[in-house]
Amino acid sequence: MDINYQGESLLPGQLGQFFIVLTFGTALLACISYFFATQSKDGSSASWKKIARLAFWINLISVVGIGSSLYYIIYNHLFEYHYAWSHSSTTLPMKYIISSFWEGQEGSFWLWMFWQALLGAVLVFRAKTWESPVMTTVMLCQALLASMLLGVEVLGERVGSSPFILLRNAMDLPIFSRPDYLKMIVDGNGLNPLLQNYWMTIHPPTLFLGFASMVVPFAYAFAGLWQRRYTEWIKPAMPWSLFAVMILGVGIIMGSFWAYEALNFGGFWAWDPVENASVIPWFTLIAAVHVLLAYKNSGHSYFTAAFLVMISFILVVYASFLTRSGILGETSVHSFTDLGMFWQLVLFNAIFLGLMVWVLISRWKELPITKKDEETYSREFWLFIGSMVLLVACIQIIASTSIPVFNAVFGTKVAPPIDPIAHYNKWQVPFAVVIAILSATAQFMKYRRTDVKKFYRSIISSLIVAIVLTAVTVYFTQVYTNFMYILLTFAAIFSIVSNSKVLGDALKGKWRLAGSAVAHIGFALLLIGALVAAATEKVISNNSTGVIAVEGFDAVETPGDNLFMYMNEPIQMGEYTITYVGDSIDGVDVYYRVNYVRKGKDGKVKESFQLTPRAQQNPKMGLVGTPSTRHYLKRDIYTIVTAAPKIETLLNGNEHDDHEGHSSYEDYEEPMTYEVNVGDTLRYRSGFIIVKEVNRNATIQNIPVAKGDIAVGLMLEIHASNNKTYTAEPIYLIKEGMVYDFAKDIEEQGLKFRFTKIKPDVNKLEVMVYQKPPAEKKWIVMKAIEFPYINFFWAGTIIMTIGFVLSIFRRNKEIKD
Amino acid sequence: MKKSSILGIVVIAIFIAMIISIYGDSSTYASFSEAQKTEAELHVVGQLNKEKELIYNPTENANYFSFYMLDEKGKECKVVFNGSKPQDFERSEQIVLTGKMVGQEFHASKILMKCPSKYNEQEVEVSESIASS
Repeated sequence: MDINYQGESLLPGQLGQFFIVLTFGTALLACISYFFATQSKDGSSASWKKIARLAFWINLISVVGIGSSLYYIIYNHLFEYHYAWSHSSTTLPMKYIISSFWEGQEGSFWLWMFWQALLGAVLVFRAKTWESPVMTTVMLCQALLASMLLGVEVLGERVGSSPFILLRNAMDLPIFSRPDYLKMIVDGNGLNPLLQNYWMTIHPPTLFLGFASMVVPFAYAFAGLWQRRYTEWIKPAMPWSLFAVMILGVGIIMGSFWAYEALNFGGFWAWDPVENASVIPWFTLIAAVHVLLAYKNSGHSYFTAAFLVMISFILVVYASFLTRSGILGETSVHSFTDLGMFWQLVLFNAIFLGLMVWVLISRWKELPITKKDEETYSREFWLFIGSMVLLVACIQIIASTSIPVFNAVFGTKVAPPIDPIAHYNKWQVPFAVVIAILSATAQFMKYRRTDVKKFYRSIISSLIVAIVLTAVTVYFTQVYTNFMYILLTFAAIFSIVSNSKVLGDALKGKWRLAGSAVAHIGFALLLIGALVAAATEKVISNNSTGVIAVEGFDAVETPGDNLFMYMNEPIQMGEYTITYVGDSIDGVDVYYRVNYVRKGKDGKVKESFQLTPRAQQNPKMGLVGTPSTRHYLKRDIYTIVTAAPKIETLLNGNEHDDHEGHSSYEDYEEPMTYEVNVGDTLRYRSGFIIVKEVNRNATIQNIPVAKGDIAVGLMLEIHASNNKTYTAEPIYLIKEGMVYDFAKDIEEQGLKFRFTKIKPDVNKLEVMVYQKPPAEKKWIVMKAIEFPYINFFWAGTIIMTIGFVLSIFRRNKEIKD
Repeated sequence: MKKSSILGIVVIAIFIAMIISIYGDSSTYASFSEAQKTEAELHVVGQLNKEKELIYNPTENANYFSFYMLDEKGKECKVVFNGSKPQDFERSEQIVLTGKMVGQEFHASKILMKCPSKYNEQEVEVSESIASS
C-alpha cells in the first residue's frame, strides 16, 4: 500500500539525483568523445572534441548541482534524507554544517569529483595538444567516481550509494508506516564530536584536492605512452606533479595537526592504516618527481619515472579502497564501514592498474630506455637511488598496512603488529637516514659527470659543520639514548647545512635551485621535529602520589599515566602545581579549567596559566575528550581529560528547570525547625544566619494583600564561610483566615527557608531551615604529555611547502619558455 | 655488471628482509586458552560480559580498569587494563585486546572496541585506547 507521506520536501533530492545521473552520463560521454578525438586522425577529431567539451562543461555544472542540492538539504535540516539525518543536527553550530557535508563517504566522493572537475577546467584551457588524450583519462576517472554515487540497481546489484536516499528507504522502522512520521523525527544524529573542529573543515578539502590532482600526472604519463609522445609529456607533467605533492603534503600535515589538537590518542602520527594509505602515494610521487628530473636532464631512468608517476595515482585509488571498503575493519580507528561498494572499489583499482600495465607492456619496446650505465658521480644516479629507497620504504608501509587485505585474499588470520609505531619506525627511521643524507649530497652533484675533487671539497665543510651541530642538538634535545636517533639527527642536520649552502648560492644568482633547497631544508626540519618530539615525549601526569590498593589487584606495576584530581585540591606534577578549579558548560561541551603554576626555588610564581581541556558529554557518543595544549617555542604541554563525573542535564538532553512554587523538597535533607527572636543567630553547615528583623508590610508577587490579611516577612542575613553575605525573606501569610507560607532559596548555599508560625503567646517565630546534602566533590582524571621541540615539525612542513611553491613556479615557467 | 643490476639485487635483498620482519612482527589472534600457553603478547577478540561488574574507581585509582570478557570460544577471563576506562565501554559489542596473560588475568596494553551506533545498526563506530606504559 502506498502511503501519502506528509511534510516531505522531495524536490531537492530528486534534483540532486538527476544531477548525479547527469554527472555520470556527461562524464562518460566526455570520456568517449575525448577518446575518439584523440584516436581519429581525420577531420572528425575536431567535432568529437566539441562534443567532449560540451559534455565536460555540463558535467562541471551538474557536479556543482549535486553539491548545492546536498548543501540545501543539510542546511535546512531536511531529515527526511538519510544523509542529513545521520550527519547533522539542528544543534550543530553553523560553522560545522560544512564538515557534516563530508563526514560520509558520499560527500567525500563528491568533494573528489568537484576538485577533479575544476582541475579538468584548467586542463581544457591550458593543455593545448594534450587536452584530448589527457582528458580521456580524467573523465574516465570522473565517470567511475560518479558511479559511486549512483545508488541504482543494475542487474540486481546496487551500484554506488546516493546521498539523496530517503531516511524511510534507507532504514526499516515501524514509524515509517505513519504518513506523518516526519513529525516524530526531532533531530538528526549530529556530527561526530571529534570532527567538530576547525581543522576538520579544511583538512578534507585539501586532502581531496591532493588526491584529485594526482590523476593529472597519471593522465599525462598515460597519454604520452599511449600517443607515443614519449618525451614530450614530462615537461607539462612536472608542475602538476609538484602541485599534487605539495597539496597532498599539506593535506596530510593538516590531518596530523588535527589529530594532535583534537584527538585523544596523544600524538601527531600513529601509523594508522588510514594515515599510511594517504602517505604512500605521497612518497611515490615525490620519488617520481626526482626521477622525472633525472630523466629530463640526463635521459636516464625513463621507465622508473613513467612507472612511479602512474603507480602513484593507482595507490591513491588503492587508498580509497582500503579506507572505504571496510576491509581494514578492526585494525583501524577511523576507516569507513562498507557501504556495499566493495567490488565497485576493486573494479576502480583494476581499471587503472589495467591501463598502466597495458600501456607499459604494449609500448615496452619503444620506450626511450638508455642502455648506457650511469656515472657514479652524477646527480641522476643518486636521484635514482634516492627514489628507489623511497619506493622500498613505501613497499614496507604498503605490506604492513595491507595485512587485512592479505588475510581476505588468502583466507589467513594474521594480526597486525602489536606495537605498530615501533614496527614502522624500525624500518622508516633507517630509510629516512638514507634519504636525508642523499638529499644533502646529491645537491652537490652535477648531471652526467661531477668533478670528484670539487665534490668532496664542497661536501667536507658541510660535513664538519653538521657533525658539530649534531653534537650540540643531540645534547640539548636529549636524544642520545639511541644510536639510530643520533644518526637520524645527524642526517637531517647534514641535509639542512648543505641545502642551506645551496640556498646561499641561489641567493647569489643561481635562484633556480632555491625551490629544491628550501623544500629539502623543510623536510629535514620536519624529520628532526618528529624524531625529537616522538622520541622524548613524556607523560608528565605520572600518578606518583601513592597508589591505593584496589581489591583483587596487588600493586600497580608502573605508575599510571592518568592523574586523579579533586576540585580545588592542588597536586604537584613535575615542576607544576596543578589545580582543577572548576568547569563551565557551553552547549554540549564541558570545559574543565586546570590551573598550572610553576614556582621558582625561592617560592615565587614564575609562570601561571590555565588550560581548558574540553570534553563533550554527548548523549549518543558518551564522553569525548579534546585536549588543550600550552604551546611554547621549545615544547608543548598537552592536557586531556580522560574521565569525569557525568553531568546528567547534558546527557538527558533538556535542562531540568525548577519552576517557582514547585514544591520540590526532595533534594533537601530533613529540615531543622527553630523558634527564634530578632537578633538570634543560627548555625548551618557552612556558615551562620542572623535573624535581622520582622517586616510587617511584606508584599508577595501576584498576590494582593487585602485588608484584614496579615503578611509578615522575616529578614534573614546569611553569612557563608567564604565571606559572602546573602539575604532572604521568607513570608508568612494569613489570607481570608487561611495560613500560607512562602519559602525562599539561597541557591548557591543550597539553603531554603520557611517562615511557618508566629507564636505571640511565647513571643517566638518559627523558621524551618532546609539544607541540601553536601555536593559530591567534583573530580577529573587527566593525562598530560610534554612534547619537546614539536615546533620543528610544524615549521618544517611550512618551509617544505614554500619550497614546493618555488619549484612549481620554476617548472611552470619552463613550459612557457 | 651494470650498476642498476647490483642495485636491483640490493633492493630484492632488503625486500626479503622486510617481508621476514613484517612476518616476525605480526601477531596472532588467539583465544584466552591459547594466550595462557605463551608469554608473548597477542590479540584476543571477544565480547564484554555485560552481566559482570566493570571496575573503575577513579577516586581510588585512576589507572586501574578491569572487566570480564568472553573470547570467541566462549571462555571467560578477567581483563586488567592499566589506564582509564574507555568512554562508552559498556556499549561495546566487540572488543579486540592486545596483551598477555599474567596468572589468571589478562593484562591488556591496548583495547580496541566496536560500538554499535545507538541509532543506526548499519553503521559501526570504532575507537581505541592504549594503556599507559
